[in-house]
Amino acid sequence: MEGGNGEELAVGCVLSLRTTLGDEIEGQIIAYDRPSNILVIQEGSSKAGPRRNIRLLKANYIQDFTYLRKAEDPIDPNKCYIDLAGLQAREEASLRQAEIEAERIGVGVTSEAQSIFDALSKTLPVHWDKTVIVVMNEVRVSSPYLPENVIGGTPAANDRVKKVLDFERKRLQVRGPG
Amino acid sequence: MQRMNLQQGRPFANGYSSRRVDTVVGTRTESKTQVRKSASPNFVSTNGTRVGRPTSPSRDRLIYVLTCLVGHHVEVHVKNGSIISGIFHATNADGDFEIVLKMAQVIKDGSVRERKSDHDSIKKPQPMVIPARELVQVLAKDVSLSDEFTPGQSCEKRKDLMIDSVISHSHHLETERELAPWMPGEDDPECPELENIFDGTFDRKWDQFETNEALFGVKSTFNEELYTTKLERGPQMRDLEKIALKIAREIEGEETQDLHLAEERGFSYHDDFNLDEESRYSAVRREVNGSGLRENENSDMEAYGSGIIAGSLGLATSGSCSDSLSKKNGNEAQASCNETQASSTSSSVVEEACLYTLADKGLGLSSVDVSSELKSDCIARSSSLEDEIRLDDNQIKDQGGKSERMAIQDSQTSDDVNTSIKSEEVSISAPLYDPSSSGQGNIITESSDSPVRGKLPAASESVDPPIRQGSSTSSSEYAHAESNRPFLSPSTSCGSLSSEKSTLNPNAKEFKLNPNAKSFTPSSSVRLHAAIPDGSFYQASNVNAVQHMHGLPMGVGVGPSFSHQPVFYNPQAAQIQSPQAYINPNGPVYGQQMIVGQHPQFYYVQSYPPVLALQFSNHRRIKYDLIIT
Repeated sequence: MEGGNGEELAVGCVLSLRTTLGDEIEGQIIAYDRPSNILVIQEGSSKAGPRRNIRLLKANYIQDFTYLRKAEDPIDPNKCYIDLAGLQAREEASLRQAEIEAERIGVGVTSEAQSIFDALSKTLPVHWDKTVIVVMNEVRVSSPYLPENVIGGTPAANDRVKKVLDFERKRLQVRGPG
Repeated sequence: MQRMNLQQGRPFANGYSSRRVDTVVGTRTESKTQVRKSASPNFVSTNGTRVGRPTSPSRDRLIYVLTCLVGHHVEVHVKNGSIISGIFHATNADGDFEIVLKMAQVIKDGSVRERKSDHDSIKKPQPMVIPARELVQVLAKDVSLSDEFTPGQSCEKRKDLMIDSVISHSHHLETERELAPWMPGEDDPECPELENIFDGTFDRKWDQFETNEALFGVKSTFNEELYTTKLERGPQMRDLEKIALKIAREIEGEETQDLHLAEERGFSYHDDFNLDEESRYSAVRREVNGSGLRENENSDMEAYGSGIIAGSLGLATSGSCSDSLSKKNGNEAQASCNETQASSTSSSVVEEACLYTLADKGLGLSSVDVSSELKSDCIARSSSLEDEIRLDDNQIKDQGGKSERMAIQDSQTSDDVNTSIKSEEVSISAPLYDPSSSGQGNIITESSDSPVRGKLPAASESVDPPIRQGSSTSSSEYAHAESNRPFLSPSTSCGSLSSEKSTLNPNAKEFKLNPNAKSFTPSSSVRLHAAIPDGSFYQASNVNAVQHMHGLPMGVGVGPSFSHQPVFYNPQAAQIQSPQAYINPNGPVYGQQMIVGQHPQFYYVQSYPPVLALQFSNHRRIKYDLIIT
């Protein structure tokens, strides 16, 4: 709440901030809305290209800031157009993608189980059934996901899953015991 | 005032976002309990502030930025230190900007002491609302603000569904990348086969089917003989192999006019080198010399009075070869040549073209050899297939040696020439002029019909047609051949001979009816050449009596043949009689099976009168008119 509160922070200025949560930010001001006290900063001013990291920060969490320099307005007010249809499409796509990814995550399973699932999914089609990993729609691997827990499917498929499971477990152990 | 295109209604319209607030499922962490509590006040305040909505430029900017974030993956930091990650869905723009996220999850839980245990479970993502008072900051990565308007941008990354236009029309500057050659990384270990699998020597012991069966238990039903000629493996295998290799070498060593062939064989095309890639490697067929020769040929034909050829080679298809044998003049020759060409197969067409060219040029062909060669060429041509000729050529090669190479398909010519020398002696006996007959059929027919026709002077009855010459050249031709040596045997004669083996005769002359014309028999295939007893020819001829009625008034021509064979035009029946495969100049070349497989169904046609019989066999695509007198 100290520092920048109450000041009219000019658009285009490059600041270096520190928040009360310990984050250090450096960026260019895009906007500052006084009523809501939100400061919009565009990070990475040195980075080229249209894509930047945007940060909306509640100004009352700024611990202190340093005014670095003045630069020009990053957005041209006359050219601000929003493609709503595109936005909605993007949102839908993101949601779809997120749902797909969410399905890969087991609910109520341990992180170890999740990493096993992830490892298996690299080479085999797998999906969750509660806390059971179902491979190729026929082989089921239940907790604690050891080779003994591999049940079902044709003998060939079963063996294959066992082998892969074994292999992945070993790899996980080697990678990071912990 | 900034211009913001928000007419369509902001996705974060008040009512909408408020509704979201109400429907928020709820949060798990303690910090989120405040969310629900604060829902109603927000609602109220939203309404309350709606009237007095500030319209400052800075607020507009903020709203703009937030709008750009919709659909973006963001991280929201809240007061208690937790971090929530989700897809930005809406905000309360008229209020205090609380954040609505979809598919949100708490990544870092600040409120609960960190306890790491194996039984930590991962929560399912769900919509979340973060009230303004909890909000500390919102982080969004890789947001592009000013380029939102670009159409391509909006369809940027849809990883799951991409339509072609999106993929191909990536407007946003995928400029030329600096291409670097691929180097295998560390984790590309098992690609030994990448190392030039063809560099290794051919492993004759490798049997893919064996391996497949061993590895995967797959039993193969592959039978090589289904796809290629059955090799007779026996004591003669070696010799045959040697001969075959020899022929192959010769073929490959030939000079050729064809660009592609030349390149394959390693010859640098002796013409101009101003050929661009397209001419060199395109598969489009351009005008070949042969077609261009047509015009020349006729005019030059007269020059060669040899006449000969009495259309013998008369390829049935062309049917133009109706000149009587007596007409041993340029015209006839021409006609025969025409016919020949008309009926010959494409290969022979080319050959003929060469011949004609040679003839036309008349140049360089001054040498006796050449002329004789030409003639022999003609004769040689009659064989239906090049390789047949070649085989013959090989045999004769030593005899004739290579004539002076002509620019045009010399090899073929000379080979043929050589062959023809021998063939001259052979086939000429055939009565020759057989408008209907074509290709080998002619030869066969003619040979057999020589007694019938007798048009030509006795001449060579030496029917020993290893080469089925359109014997049509008949004795007259032969005689002429002798006499004509000094001057170019009319390309016609050659042509006619050559045409024997091709189905099309670009130089076909106008067909004139020859009442005594022998019927056409489709020429034989390669196998014919292999080892065919003369008798077979004669046999065939009988049946083929009625074969080719190309444009002939059948009644007359067919007359004699009717006597000894029911008149039904059925090449297949004819084929049945002889073991060889006949090549119908008009029709497709049937494989061995056609011959071997008897077609009994055709036989019972025999009883039918000629008219009907002919009607039945129309599948042959040979057009003919049957006139029964």
